[in-house]
Amino acid sequence: MSIVTNSVTKRAASLRGAWWISALLAAFGLVASWALLNLVIGGQCDRKCVEDTLAQTLRVATPIAFAAFCGVLCERAGVVDIGIEGKMLMAAMVAYGVNLFSFQLLKDGLGPTAAGNLSRWLAVVAAMAAALLLGGLHAVVSIRFKSDQIISGTVINILAIGVTGYMYRSFLSENLPPGPGTFPLAPIPLLAQIPVFGPIFFQQKPLTYIMLLLAVGIYGMLFYTQWGLRVRAVGEHPRAADTLGVDVQRTRYINTLAGGLVAGLGGAWFTLEAVDVFSPLMTNGLGFIGLAAMIFGKWNPFGALIGALIFGLGNSVTATISIFRPDIPSQIPQMLPYLLTIIVLTGVVGRAVAPAADGQPYEKS
Amino acid sequence: MANSDKTATPGNRAPRSSGQGRAFSGKRIADLLGMPLLALATAFVLGAVVIFLTSGRLETVGEAYWGLLRGAFLKERGFSESLVAAIPYIFLSLGLALGFKTGLFNIGVEGQFYMGAIAAAWAGQAIQGLPTLIHLPLVLLIGAAGGAIWAGIPGYLKAKTGAHEVISTMMMNYVAFRLTEFLISGPLRAQSGSSTIQTPRISPGAELWALWDIPNRLADPLNALAVGLGLGFLAWMIARASRRKTKDEGPKNVDGNSSFVIRHSSILIAIVVAALAFIALPPLTRLWWPFTDQYDRLHLGLVLAVLAAVGVWWLLWKTTIGFELRTVGANPNAARYAGMSITRNVVLGMALSGALAGLAGTVEVVGVSICRCLPLFFSSGYGFDSIAIALLGRNNPFGILASSFLFGAMRNGADLMELSSGVSKYIISLIQALVLLFVAAPAVVRWLYRIKGGARADEAPLTRGWGG
Repeated sequence: MSIVTNSVTKRAASLRGAWWISALLAAFGLVASWALLNLVIGGQCDRKCVEDTLAQTLRVATPIAFAAFCGVLCERAGVVDIGIEGKMLMAAMVAYGVNLFSFQLLKDGLGPTAAGNLSRWLAVVAAMAAALLLGGLHAVVSIRFKSDQIISGTVINILAIGVTGYMYRSFLSENLPPGPGTFPLAPIPLLAQIPVFGPIFFQQKPLTYIMLLLAVGIYGMLFYTQWGLRVRAVGEHPRAADTLGVDVQRTRYINTLAGGLVAGLGGAWFTLEAVDVFSPLMTNGLGFIGLAAMIFGKWNPFGALIGALIFGLGNSVTATISIFRPDIPSQIPQMLPYLLTIIVLTGVVGRAVAPAADGQPYEKS
Repeated sequence: MANSDKTATPGNRAPRSSGQGRAFSGKRIADLLGMPLLALATAFVLGAVVIFLTSGRLETVGEAYWGLLRGAFLKERGFSESLVAAIPYIFLSLGLALGFKTGLFNIGVEGQFYMGAIAAAWAGQAIQGLPTLIHLPLVLLIGAAGGAIWAGIPGYLKAKTGAHEVISTMMMNYVAFRLTEFLISGPLRAQSGSSTIQTPRISPGAELWALWDIPNRLADPLNALAVGLGLGFLAWMIARASRRKTKDEGPKNVDGNSSFVIRHSSILIAIVVAALAFIALPPLTRLWWPFTDQYDRLHLGLVLAVLAAVGVWWLLWKTTIGFELRTVGANPNAARYAGMSITRNVVLGMALSGALAGLAGTVEVVGVSICRCLPLFFSSGYGFDSIAIALLGRNNPFGILASSFLFGAMRNGADLMELSSGVSKYIISLIQALVLLFVAAPAVVRWLYRIKGGARADEAPLTRGWGG
């Protein structure tokens, strides 16, 4: 099985510029999974259901993509970041708290609508700041103190569980005043009217749009600017980059911190777009799935986005199945995204090669 | 001790030239204990700062830590409950340490814990009426196998495809949670009228005895036989180990002319110990037994845990298998050139690590849980703590025994702390995370206290990047 797929992917790769083969394969996969879905739920998936499922796909893919972008930023500069999960959890908690309490402060002066809008954006900024803080910790421990980056990331994950749990129990679990809630849908004028594409891509919430823009932005920055070239050099061969006058440590600091900001956006998604409550451990492994999406995407933002969309699709199809077929125990389809992650990691879809200096502390000689 | 040199220098790197020869000098011990103790103290101080900042009262800090201390040791059964909480920690962090020594970061011990627990819960109730002598070892074996398989799959994938074990075992965690949830609420659900969703109660033969219960259990001759055989086996192992040591000292014992008694001394010792235990223990324990409190949950799992620690130490530092595991962990390229199979050792390392984690789950089901079953929404939270424990114990089995007890005590004391001071018990997780931070990055502690001197070679374990 794997031999066959390997040779297929090799041949696909050898056909230079044949991107349309991948596109064709993707389209085929989409149609096949739709057919399979209809088989399971007994042909009840009409156009509305397809549109809903795909819109849901993009929605669920948002935090995964943010996590993957954080991973891309860090690892292109040679810092392995396993602590994305923790950063997102922390950001989710901070976003929820800031949203709630700033609304209480602002609502008398501004009126509920304006106060709600302002506090939600304040919450986004606070979430980014919180994740930035954790990113800074990761940077200091792994760049300045040169400790093992995977252990350092694990520390961040556990620290986030502890801090969010403590804050939740102390401030966020009882006697809460009503908050402003999550972002409302923000359909983009005109574009939202396009049939099929409109409901899927242009009737989403703000963070999803930001995610799509970031994919383009990070791609452009990484591959078409001097900064990107330097970052990639630092990730591949820090010694050579250093010789040519690139400050390796500074580049790594900047990228780890930028990754923190992006992960913060991903965390904000949980409490500002998905649900209006914070619960401990609510990130549920999406940070790790984001890492798998990054590996799937070969450390390229667009690839990572596609990876995230595949996981999102797995998730939304699962949700659709459990709506139409309540007799299937919900735990079985819930396992699918995680199993999918493992399969992706095994390289069935083509062996991924990490940046050469990924995970190695740089010692200036 | 003839081998004190080897035990004093854990780790596989070459011992530092200065440390050689004076194995247990004061400086050496201070060096070994200093950094972990400093890390602990710093974490507690930072925890106090957090409590002060969030509560605004200085007294709360004192109340909280005093409550923690009382809950962990001073209140009724506090000490033994701390030991009960330490038992799964010992198994899990031994598993993690074994992984670290093989160069694997088995972050999925929590999932393996669940798989061990569900496998044991199934094996405990599927067969009824077997005596302890057969059923308990069988259940332990099946529980360990559950964890071993759950860890072996990511191990195999890592060896064959390079899928990094940190992500794949993490994903296996989530699969394990859903799978156990499904099994408990579906196929394995107890049919009894009780409203709680749980697996059926395991058969009495599969239970791990509470310590106070031992005299009653020994009244059954079959159980006495089981204990006798167990002790006899232990005596055999100890006698063999000590005999091998005397053999090394001179050639006169191996000339082949020694008498039957000397040649088979270890087996004879074992038989004598087993017979004595079988005959004498039941009446003796009836006469006097130190554990009388019927509500004391301390159980034989403690003995198993200590044995497991000795076993891991023996495996890693006294056998060829352990040598291969450590070599693969320290330098896979050197291991490959020396003709060791990376695949085999990575899978073996993961499977053994998972087996220990599975045993932790097994022991929780057959020894601790009040219903002697696996309930739905059974949450342990042991897995992440164990990473900190393994690193705090420097991946040394005996260091792990000590740090497990410490973490068990913290976990046990947390409830009384929350009750008496109102400080959320999550502060314990925060302190544990800080401990992990300081132990994993000793450079931070050194920088904080302006300690001079370079890093030790075996200070923190190294994992490898995505390449495998």
